[in-house]
Amino acid sequence: MDHLDELESRSIYIIREAYRQFKDIAALWSIGKDSTTLVWLIRKAFYGKVPFPVVHIDTSYKFKEIYAFREKWAKEWNLKLIVGRNEEAIKAGMGPERGKLQCCTALKTDALKMTIDKYGFKALLLGIRRDEHGIRAKERYFSPRNREFQWNYKDQPPELWDQYKTKQEGEEHIRVHPLLHWTELDIWNYIKREGIPVVELYFAKGGRRYRSIGCEPCCSPIPSDADTIDKIVEELKTTKISERSGRAQDKERAYMMQKLRALGYM
Amino acid sequence: MITVIAIDALEYTLVEEFNMRNLKQDYYGRTDISEFSEPRTMVLWSSFMTGENREAEILAKGDKEMWNTRIPHEETFFSHFKNPFVLDLPGYNYDLEQHRRERELLKEFFEEKDEERKREVRRKYNENAFAHHRRVKERFFEALEGDYDFVLGYFSVADVIGHLNFGNRSLMKMIYRDLDDIVSRVEGKKIVLSDHGMKAVGAFGDHSDYGFWSTNFRDLGRPRITDFKRIVLQEALGE
Amino acid sequence: MEREHLKLVIVGHVDHGKSTLIGRLFYDTDSLPREKLEEVRQICEALGRELEFAFVMDHLEEERSQGITIDTAQTFFKTAKRDYVIIDAPGHREFTKNMITGASQAEAAILIVDVSEGVQEQTRRHAYILSMLGLKQVIVVLNKMDLVGYSEEVFEKVRGHTLDFLKRIGINPTYVIPISAREGDNVASRSERMPWYTGPTILEALDTFKKTERRDGGPLRFAVQDVYNIEGKRIIVGRVEAGTLRRGDEIVILPTGERTRVKSIEEFMREGVEEAPPGKSTGITLEDKLFVDRGQILCRLEEETPKMVSEVKGSIFWMSSEPLQVGESVIFKCSTQEAPCRVEAIERRIDSSTLEVIEESSSRLENREVGEVTLSFASPVIVEDFNVTPELGRFVIEKEGNISGGGIITRLEG
Repeated sequence: MDHLDELESRSIYIIREAYRQFKDIAALWSIGKDSTTLVWLIRKAFYGKVPFPVVHIDTSYKFKEIYAFREKWAKEWNLKLIVGRNEEAIKAGMGPERGKLQCCTALKTDALKMTIDKYGFKALLLGIRRDEHGIRAKERYFSPRNREFQWNYKDQPPELWDQYKTKQEGEEHIRVHPLLHWTELDIWNYIKREGIPVVELYFAKGGRRYRSIGCEPCCSPIPSDADTIDKIVEELKTTKISERSGRAQDKERAYMMQKLRALGYM
Repeated sequence: MITVIAIDALEYTLVEEFNMRNLKQDYYGRTDISEFSEPRTMVLWSSFMTGENREAEILAKGDKEMWNTRIPHEETFFSHFKNPFVLDLPGYNYDLEQHRRERELLKEFFEEKDEERKREVRRKYNENAFAHHRRVKERFFEALEGDYDFVLGYFSVADVIGHLNFGNRSLMKMIYRDLDDIVSRVEGKKIVLSDHGMKAVGAFGDHSDYGFWSTNFRDLGRPRITDFKRIVLQEALGE
Repeated sequence: MEREHLKLVIVGHVDHGKSTLIGRLFYDTDSLPREKLEEVRQICEALGRELEFAFVMDHLEEERSQGITIDTAQTFFKTAKRDYVIIDAPGHREFTKNMITGASQAEAAILIVDVSEGVQEQTRRHAYILSMLGLKQVIVVLNKMDLVGYSEEVFEKVRGHTLDFLKRIGINPTYVIPISAREGDNVASRSERMPWYTGPTILEALDTFKKTERRDGGPLRFAVQDVYNIEGKRIIVGRVEAGTLRRGDEIVILPTGERTRVKSIEEFMREGVEEAPPGKSTGITLEDKLFVDRGQILCRLEEETPKMVSEVKGSIFWMSSEPLQVGESVIFKCSTQEAPCRVEAIERRIDSSTLEVIEESSSRLENREVGEVTLSFASPVIVEDFNVTPELGRFVIEKEGNISGGGIITRLEG
């Protein structure tokens, strides 16, 4: 088996382990490249018949391309799609201009909590990768969360030889990370090999492309001419540029000025 | 002989997280500053050196004048020593010009609208703080060689850099490591003390409402900042 | 052509120079983003310090954890031969569980020892864990040679001690290399300061290692994970743990002993799959309608089969603050088998930091201790010699839902 086969087999093994243990399970599908790869692997694991729901947390601020992609492929792949929205907060006008943190909390975290509560999910499959989160070995494939979604990373049981923990009382749900051992480059190589569809925003148009996609107001494109997967892979191999996302920090600034004034600094 | 390493805005939780063993020494914990209405630098250090809550008096001076506070030597516990050395402490003998410049750049940063120029101001602000830190370090190590019966070094770098960069954890970690090294180079009885800690507001840093203490001689429990007069005098002079 | 990846873990006592070595490996193989290095250099300068590689690694780590870094090359360093993926394994005692988690995925290990301090508590514990995990490709590096004047005499002395100790736990390192991670001696390039050393540098040594592959020849072991009904087809899913599975293979199901034939190998959107290599997660259908369930092992008829035993002796590393106690019931997990078992005896209890025997015949095994343990089962489990089929020769113990110990089977009893 080559490198991608190994990655794939490991992920499929984990997905099957998770489903064996939890029937009340769902996959989180942000419609980004990683979670779409995850959905692809789930389809492979279950021979095209995904036996549990796929959840999209919709903040109402997603790119229109994301909604179109979701509708098209959810239908094509015959997914049990659940769209989770914090309707109350959306109606009350919550948005990034009220503070990015508050907005994410209300429209993402709270919406997810509500969805978990409503459907009683005991486990969630997520497409996170270890290379997003540092090279330290603190992540686990099976990671328990309490009610407040907190993760006690200082005292996790070990994971070895593909043996994973089982859910305990007091643990609200378990997050399962079948893509933990993949890198961003692996994902693109696999997308290319398998022909996995991805949202067109990833490909350069007019000298810019999105490296990650989410809510329209909080994403900014990077300068790039990579309009094919090959070019993206090439870009990732050669780039040594890192870039802070150009998100607005106006709220934080205003708050900070006010605090610094109160402390007598200004 | 006892040495106090006074570090502005040294945050308890970061010392823990980065596991800075020299900053932690043998005993460490949080200080209780809940008696103060806000964790203000000038108020806290003035109260520290006199052993009494000086908030009302400092606040009465107003935001501008507050920074020029100079508490007379005889009102501080430093006067109990024959030959004390106190380096750059706010409210006592700190470099007014240096700290005025810092506040000025801070204001300039927040008032600047243009992102490019903002970055430039931040760079100038950081550079100014680091340059001062290098000078203070040098003088502190010189003082440790000197013939003093009490040495207090005040380090502002974690506070000054923290206000504009607290969200940049690797930068903060490098600063904490540097402070950790400074403590490791001090011999004999020592106290590490901060006025307050810091918490993140996005990329920035706001004061948290507890301070940090550590010693290499005994557990202090949860002291107030005004308790340190008694602690230092007791440990150094048996008073 | 896809490049080969080898997973490498670097372990050793705290402050023996792990971060510095990682930083040095990245730096010397030009795997560090230049601008990051520059940034760190500037801050170090601003603080009036020398550039330290450990800082660079912290910096990368931090940026990554904030999701700022977009560079993917960072978990790798490259040689002409292949890419190395560093799996970090924390050195602090409190992080032993993370260390095991990391090291269990590695194909090769570097054990770093400060030449001026020699073998310490975590050196012993980590070495023991490498031995338990069955890692055979091990390099010992004696670091901080600059602090001992690059002395051959000191190197030889510490080398002797280290090898003596490693021998006791069954590790025979492929190389012992004198280095200075800080100065770069014998990491990527040969040190001129140690002309007496004629062996390879770290990179040269690493490049001689092989990727660990599962055994593809020899007896087949297919571990059943689950059974799915897909459009009327009964697909038995699982993983080929060893050997190669082929369509048409005549198989025997353990533990029932029933025999049948592999009718098809099932992969999504692929027809006519003829074989599944070791390590492959796949599915099969059988000629006959037989009872098949998770935990069973399918083997090829007329090949040697694993043993079915109701008692095993194993060497266990315990890693939970809840001790393992004689007489209690815990869960034994080996491949896809999960079997309740009783702790019959703890024949020897060893401190993993000193590797000294604390007690012969004990009633309990505490956190970070190693024990020779006897476990008994109500119904037999399928196990094998660790050295023949590691996948069926190693197990974990689950207590109260948490994996609390890992071990290898040292003796199989009928």
